[in-house]
Amino acid sequence: MVIAAVASWVLPGLGHLLIGERTRGIIFIVVVTLTFWTGVAIGGVKNTVSPADRTLWFAGQICAGGHSLLALACGAAVGTPQETGRHPAMLIGYGRTEEVSVVYTAIAGMLNILIILDVLVRAERRSLPMAAGPPPGPDAKRRPRTG
Amino acid sequence: MLLWFITPVPLTGWQQLGLLLPLCLAVSIVYKTTKLENLREVPLAAIVTWITIVVGMFAVGVGLYLLHRLVA
Repeated sequence: MVIAAVASWVLPGLGHLLIGERTRGIIFIVVVTLTFWTGVAIGGVKNTVSPADRTLWFAGQICAGGHSLLALACGAAVGTPQETGRHPAMLIGYGRTEEVSVVYTAIAGMLNILIILDVLVRAERRSLPMAAGPPPGPDAKRRPRTG
Repeated sequence: MLLWFITPVPLTGWQQLGLLLPLCLAVSIVYKTTKLENLREVPLAAIVTWITIVVGMFAVGVGLYLLHRLVA
């Protein structure tokens, strides 16, 4: 159960694949990945996921797990405008661009919380003994035991 | 292709509003996929939820605009 939740944090939808919910897992992987990386493509990888500039938004973004860590690593690898010799506007999104990109990535993270909770419930349901039948009723004690 | 993720895209006001639509669609798909046991019901339910969110937000926006016009 915990492994499925951690797997869902690393890659949203992976936990569902691990517990056998293949189609559901693929839907989550596709939708969350598209949402997160659309946000990054709008705002640029350098500035969209930035724990130093937007700590509270980053708390939402980090819930997307592997995606946000990968975006952080890519942002660090790109370098600053001074290092690359590019105009800052070529690397850093401002105004509307910044708003939309941060909202997209943070909502992808929030959606992943929903996905993690869902995989926890489904994994617990699967671990319950379903083949044992319904729980005993009030007259269960009266029945004589055999064997 | 890597350049797509490096260079930010400048947006106008209408583009910013338009980008609300795919975001709401993503939210409704994930929400309905977690809620429904039968995945065949997801597409229709997600579209209904998507329309509900968009129309609801539009109504809230119109209401706040009218309130602003009345007060200002």
